[in-house]
Amino acid sequence: MPLGDKPAAGRARANAGKLTRRTFVTSALVAPFVAGKARAAGGLNAYSIWPENYARPMMEAFEKASGIAVKFVRFSSGEALARVLAEKGNPQVDVLFGGPVETFTAGQSKGVFEAYKSPSWSELPDRFKDKDGLWTAIADDPLVFMTNSSFLKQHNLQPPASWEDLLDPAYKDMLQMADARTSGTAVTRIFSVLQVNNRNEDAAFAYMKKLRKNVQSYTKSGGGGTVPVGLGQAGGGIFFIVDALFTRQKGYDVQISFPKEGIGSAAECIALIKGAKNADSGKKLIDWTTSPAMQSLLAPNKINFIPAHPKVPTDPSLAEVLKGAKIIEIDDTWAGANRQRIIERWVAEVLNAG
Amino acid sequence: MAVAASARAPAQRDPLRTIVVVALWFVLGLFVLYPLACLLVRAFSDDAGFTFGPIVGALGNPTHLRALRNSIVLATLVGIFGTAAGFLFAFTVERTGMGRGLRRMIDLVILLPLISPPFTTSIGFVFSFGPRGLITHGLFGMQNAQVYGWTSTLTAEALTYFPLAFLALRPLIAAIGGDLEEAAFSLGGSRWQVFRTVTLPLTLPGIGNAFLLIFAASLADFATPLILAGNNLPVLPTDAYLQITGMFDLKGGAVLSLLLLVPAGLVFFAQRYLVERRSYVTITGKIGGRAQGAAAAAWVRWMLWAICAAVTAFILYLYALLVYTSVVVAFGANESLTLANYQVIFTEGIPAIKDTLIIALVAMPLGGLYGVTVGYLIARSRGLGRHMLEIVSMINYALPGTIVGIAYLIAFNDTPFALTGTATIIIACYIFRYSPTGIRTTVALLQQVDRSIEEASFSLGAGTLRTFYGVTLPLIMPAFFAGLGTVFIRAMTAISATIFLVSINWTLITVRILENMTEVALGPAAAFSVFVIVVVLLVTSLLNVALRRMTAPSLRVARLGTAS
Repeated sequence: MPLGDKPAAGRARANAGKLTRRTFVTSALVAPFVAGKARAAGGLNAYSIWPENYARPMMEAFEKASGIAVKFVRFSSGEALARVLAEKGNPQVDVLFGGPVETFTAGQSKGVFEAYKSPSWSELPDRFKDKDGLWTAIADDPLVFMTNSSFLKQHNLQPPASWEDLLDPAYKDMLQMADARTSGTAVTRIFSVLQVNNRNEDAAFAYMKKLRKNVQSYTKSGGGGTVPVGLGQAGGGIFFIVDALFTRQKGYDVQISFPKEGIGSAAECIALIKGAKNADSGKKLIDWTTSPAMQSLLAPNKINFIPAHPKVPTDPSLAEVLKGAKIIEIDDTWAGANRQRIIERWVAEVLNAG
Repeated sequence: MAVAASARAPAQRDPLRTIVVVALWFVLGLFVLYPLACLLVRAFSDDAGFTFGPIVGALGNPTHLRALRNSIVLATLVGIFGTAAGFLFAFTVERTGMGRGLRRMIDLVILLPLISPPFTTSIGFVFSFGPRGLITHGLFGMQNAQVYGWTSTLTAEALTYFPLAFLALRPLIAAIGGDLEEAAFSLGGSRWQVFRTVTLPLTLPGIGNAFLLIFAASLADFATPLILAGNNLPVLPTDAYLQITGMFDLKGGAVLSLLLLVPAGLVFFAQRYLVERRSYVTITGKIGGRAQGAAAAAWVRWMLWAICAAVTAFILYLYALLVYTSVVVAFGANESLTLANYQVIFTEGIPAIKDTLIIALVAMPLGGLYGVTVGYLIARSRGLGRHMLEIVSMINYALPGTIVGIAYLIAFNDTPFALTGTATIIIACYIFRYSPTGIRTTVALLQQVDRSIEEASFSLGAGTLRTFYGVTLPLIMPAFFAGLGTVFIRAMTAISATIFLVSINWTLITVRILENMTEVALGPAAAFSVFVIVVVLLVTSLLNVALRRMTAPSLRVARLGTAS
C-alpha cells in the first residue's frame, strides 16, 4: 500500500485505518473456520509412540493398502498415554500405535482401550497379546547395552557383558538412560533389573542406586541418550535395540552388547481407543499392523524391530546381533499392576538420591 | 478543564465503548480468570471438598521443595548474570564510541536468542561442552568435562535472556549520556566516579526492571533445564511437566505449578513498583546530546569491546553450529553435506509448519488489536476499572507458561468450554499471554499524546469507535506493530504453555523440535529451528517496513490535519 509523495493527508489516514480494519475483519471471519477445521471424515487418527521416521512409512503403506487417510502425531509413550487418559471423556484419536507393552497395560488398568481381536490374534504367542484383546503386539524390542567404541578403548574396557559391569567406576557420570517418568524404555529397564533380581525389590533398588552414580543424565525419551553416546559425550547406556541399531546405522561407532544375567524385552503394541470415533478404520489398522502385511515391511525400511508375527522372519543382520543374547520375560500382568508404585519408588529413591 | 470534561463525557457514556468493555471482560474472564480458578480448584480440592492437603503435601515433599529452591536460585543467578551482561553490552554499544557497523552487527546477533525456538542454545551446548565437546575437548583437550548441571544451564539461560536486559537498558544508558555526565566530568569527576555516582544510580531502576524480566523468564524456562539440567538440578516447570505427562498426575502437576505462583507474583508486583518509579530517568534523558566516548578510558573501552566481541562470537558460533547440524547427515558421525533434513521438514513437517503459521497469523492481528484496545482503555480510563484491567490483562503474561498451559488444559478439557483439540485454545493462549507488550507500548504512547486531539474528534461528533480508528489508532500504530511482532514471534517460538495444548488436529513446530530432539533426529530439529528463525526475521522485517510506511512523513501531516 504505497502512499506515494502526494500529501493526501486524509487518504493516508483512511488507508491506515482501512488496513487495520481489514485485518480485523479478515481475522474475525477466519477465526471460526480455523477453530473448527474439520479433519477428513472416515479417516483415522492415531497417537504414534514410534518415532516419525518409523511410523511414517508404515502409515503411508497402510493408506495405500486401505485407502484410509491416516492422521497421526508422535509423542513419547508416557505423554501419549497421558493424553489418552486426559481425553477419556472425549477421545481425540482412534488408535494408540507402537510403544512398549507396559504403556498398554497401564492404560488397560485405567480402562481406556476397547477389546478387539484381529485375525492374526490367535496365531500370536501369549506374550504378544492381551487375553481379552485389549492390546496386540506388532513387534518385539529387546533392551541392549550400547557403548561408545573409543570410550571403551580409552578406558581399556570390553563391552559390558553383565549388569555389574556398568557399575565400573570408569563409567562414573558417563552413562545416559531414560527417565522412568516419561519413557517406556526406562520402565522396561527397571522391570528388567527387578526380574534379574528375582523381583527382590530391595536388591534391585540397591543396584539401581549404585548405578545412578554413573548416570550423567536421565533423558526424557528412551532414545535421548543415543546421540550423546554416539558422539562420546557419554560412554554408554541402556536402550532399545531399535534405537541402538539406528544410531549405528547413522554412522556412530558404538558397540551393542547384552548382560549375561539377561535383559528384558518390550512387545511393541497397538490398541483401539474406547469410544473411538472411527472404530472401523481403527480395526483395519490393527488388522494390518498385526499381520505380515506390515511386519514384512520393517526390514526393507531398515527398522530394527523383531516382527511379532511368527510367519515373518527376523532380518538376518538383526538376528546376527541378537545371537547369544539372553532375553528374559517380564510378567506384564505383574508389571502393569505395580508400575505406578515402582516408578514412584524409583523417583524417590534413585532419581532424587543425588 | 470544564470544556475538556464535558467533551469527554459523551465518550464515557458511548454505548459502543460499553460493549467493548463488556466483551473484553468476557474474554478476560474466560481465558484468564476462569482457567486460573479451575487450576486453584483442582489443586485445593479432593473428593471430600476443599483441602490444603495437596499443597501441604507438596511443601512437605523434599523433592518438590528442592525443585522450588533450585528454580528460585537458578532464576536469581540467571537474573544477575544476564542483567550484568545486558548492561555491559548496552554500555559498550552506547558509550564507547563504537562504530555504526559494529553496533548494527551486535544489534542483529543479540536479537537471535530472542527470536529462536527453545533448545537452540541447548543443542549447541550439548555439542560444545562435555567429555567430547567441540570446545571442552576439541579446543582445550579436557577429558572429563561435564555438560549437564548448574554451569551450563545457568550459562545457556543467561545467554538466551540477556538480550532482554540489553533492550531494556539501552535506551536508558543512551539517554543519560548527555548533560548530567558532562556536568559531572566538568566538575572534575573521574570516569569511575562518574560511572559510580551518576550513570549507575540513574540506571538503577532500569537495572532492577531488567533483572526482574530475566528472573521471570528463567523461572518459567522449561526447555533449557529439560535438556541441560541433568540429574541434580530438578526445577519446577520441568518437574510439573514430567509429573503430568509421565505420571499421569494432573493434580500433582497443578500443585507443582502453583508453587511457581509465589516467586512469579513477587516479581510481578516488584516490577509494577519499579515501572511506576522509572519515569524520572527518561525525563532526565530528554535533554542534551550524547557525549560519545567520554565515559570510558581507552583500556576499559578495549576490554569492553573484547568481552562483547567474545560473547557475540560465541552466539554466532552456536548458530553456525545449528545451521551446520541442519545440513549434515549425522553430526559427529557422518558429516557429509545433505539437504535431507530440510526435505524431511518440508514433507513430514508440513502439517506442523502449516498449523504453526495459521495459528501465528491468526493470533497476530487479533493479539495486536487486543493489545491496543486494552492499552487504550487502560490509558484513557481511571479508577478501579483501570487497575483491574491492568492487573487482569497481565496475569497470563506474568505467570510461568507451565501454569497457564496446565490451567488451560484443566479448564477447557470438558464442557461447558470443551476447546481441547482446537486451534482456538492455542490462539487464545498466545493472545492473552503475549499481548502485554502491545498493551504496555500503547499505554506509554498514549501518555505522550495530548488528549485534546481525541477530544476534538469527540466534539466534532465522532463516536468512540470512529475516534479510536480515525485518530487514536494511527497515533498508536507503533504499539500495534510492536504487539503484532511480539505475538507472532512468540507464536512461532514458545513451548512452555502450548506443549500442553497441542493435539492431533493442531501441532506446533516447537513441539516437533522437542520430539525430534528426543527421537535422535537432531538434523530435522536443527532444520526446523533454522526455518523458524528465517520466518521470524522475514515477518518482523516486513512489519518494520509496514510500520515505516505508515508513519511516513505524509502520515505525520495527517496527524496535524486531524488535530486542526
